[in-house]
Amino acid sequence: MPQPLFKRILVANRSEIAVRVIRACRSLGIFAVAVYSEADKQSKHCMIADRAVLIGPPSPRESYLNIERIIQAAKQTGCDALHPGYGFLAENPLLPDACKSAGIVFIGPTAEAMKLLGNKVESRGKMADIGVPLIPGMKAAGSELAQFEGAAQSAGFPVIIKAAAGGGGKGMRIVREQFQLKESLEAARREALHAFGDDTVYLEKYLTEPRHIEFQVLADQHGHCIHLFERECSIQRRHQKIIEETPSVALTDELRVRMGADAVKVAHAAGYTNAGTVEFLLDKSGKYYFLEMNTRIQVEHPITEMVTGVDLVVEQIKVAAGLPLGEYLKQLTQRGHAIECRIYAEDGENNFLPSTGKIIHYSEPEGPGIRVDSGVALGSEISVHYDPIMAKLIVHAPDRRTAIVKMIDALEQYKLLGVKTSRRFMIDVLSHPQFQSGNTFTNFIESHMKSTNSTVNELQRQLAAALASVVAAEPNKNAQAVDSRSAARSPWQTIGGWQIGDSAVE
Amino acid sequence: MLLNKYQFVIDGEQVETKVERNGSGWHVVSRGVAFEIEQRSDGLYIVSNEDMRLTVAAVRHEGVFYVDLGRVQLEFTEAPQGTMGHGSTEQHREKDKVYAPMPGKVVKLLVSLGEMVSEKQPLVIVEAMKMENLVLSPSNGKVKAIHFAAGDQIDTERPIVELELES
Repeated sequence: MPQPLFKRILVANRSEIAVRVIRACRSLGIFAVAVYSEADKQSKHCMIADRAVLIGPPSPRESYLNIERIIQAAKQTGCDALHPGYGFLAENPLLPDACKSAGIVFIGPTAEAMKLLGNKVESRGKMADIGVPLIPGMKAAGSELAQFEGAAQSAGFPVIIKAAAGGGGKGMRIVREQFQLKESLEAARREALHAFGDDTVYLEKYLTEPRHIEFQVLADQHGHCIHLFERECSIQRRHQKIIEETPSVALTDELRVRMGADAVKVAHAAGYTNAGTVEFLLDKSGKYYFLEMNTRIQVEHPITEMVTGVDLVVEQIKVAAGLPLGEYLKQLTQRGHAIECRIYAEDGENNFLPSTGKIIHYSEPEGPGIRVDSGVALGSEISVHYDPIMAKLIVHAPDRRTAIVKMIDALEQYKLLGVKTSRRFMIDVLSHPQFQSGNTFTNFIESHMKSTNSTVNELQRQLAAALASVVAAEPNKNAQAVDSRSAARSPWQTIGGWQIGDSAVE
Repeated sequence: MLLNKYQFVIDGEQVETKVERNGSGWHVVSRGVAFEIEQRSDGLYIVSNEDMRLTVAAVRHEGVFYVDLGRVQLEFTEAPQGTMGHGSTEQHREKDKVYAPMPGKVVKLLVSLGEMVSEKQPLVIVEAMKMENLVLSPSNGKVKAIHFAAGDQIDTERPIVELELES
């Protein structure tokens, strides 16, 4: 038995991605140390870790974003490496710097590569130099209105203003006509300043119906870099991905080779090491444009794992330990089709508002080609403090059509009560003829899913009442079940003739 | 064999059921349709009849029933005590009177005397628990009487509006 690559890895994250990283550590014979905030004492990632260290109050600023406290936890438990997951500190160059000073290996790229790629304007300039196609627009951030006007004119309307430090839709403004430019510029600057503490913005052409295509790359510390094919993440709501798949129906073999080669070129130019993702937009004519490179493991990484058979988190750990990329990584193929649906705590029937509460029933779908990466279990409390992602459901099948059917079935088998989710909305997307024909563009939801389906049919009503009768008839089922008679006196029962909070009558 | 009867309010409609033990499971008649239900594990049930077979999750938590039918998740409660076991004539009498489900203040009347209204049409806005809520018409009919005006405090005992039902 060879020595493990590291002795102990600190997992500087929570929920499903922490669980995922802990499992990868286990498979390599490495001890995993979890960190948690006071809100996460009972959480799944703490339960499965070899050790768990309390790092502070629920507020992320005082716990999962507190570099000093996290480094202290790593030292105190004798960790020799740290994995940041995604979100929180994953793309903050101060974390690899702090690890370096503490003599801990950071499982991710260098601080320098992170800084370069984190600055959207700087990285655009760099990628233009090496001949990777960019969306027409400004080469550098502008300060004067006239610069923006000139750039808009040469790119052609509509255009989009973006924050240099941006991401997640903040500080972004789509401008359709000249006269809106000044006002939008000011609004984007205000939003960027508020969200990122930096009001630097730039302008580029806005593609109206693109696909979001990204390439997974993996680079070792010896100058080797490969790509692990694409993921299509066009199904987005408010710039948040909700359904991802691979392969993309839009890529020909020839296009895949060209885009993959450019993705590797981007990683090389940035001096990138470890796992990363190069994002492109692809327009209807087959032209693609570099968008940005994400310097972390992505939420949607499992679909790549399903079709390539590679454990990306294990590879991250190997690269960080200084191993060269394995020979098996140089002869990968895409086997079958994989889809991921994100299970967010949100009310799919009420404008996707965040939903909080306690999970009172939880059962996962099972079967060949079904994978659930989950951070929750029965009894988990979903609080307002953190990202609402609870789990990811991933299916793998020989072809796209079978994968879609399998995903719909898996979503129906997935039972989760007490916190609202948008499972029904995702089933409606997957069942849509345009989705099934592969007409997936980033405006899919606004074009095809304008109204959310919340109707209850007669059979569903009969079934629900039949089930409730059995639950009610079971003698003293559990202590939580309060007397239904006292509950029946609550005014909320007659909700049928009483629409809560609805005053929009006129 | 013990027969239990229940009444639930699901998505605005009352649903009556009868349930009895049947071997290791239950035989349930819900709105006249029969189902056989077996428990599979804690909170998971298999429900079937001649037309279908489905695995469903159902739990009761703090007086609320939560049911996950796969495509749809529902949360609901039993119908209020007062309406249990009413005969058909009594039901009819109730349907011509509109009550507030909880005490509050009338914000606005949305209908006037003599107006024809249809089922589920909003009749009154009532403020309760700092929220404005709509009271909907229980049936089709004509507004026969209005007992309160905007600004009045109301309770759940006296009807706000009375209807003359369509025959």
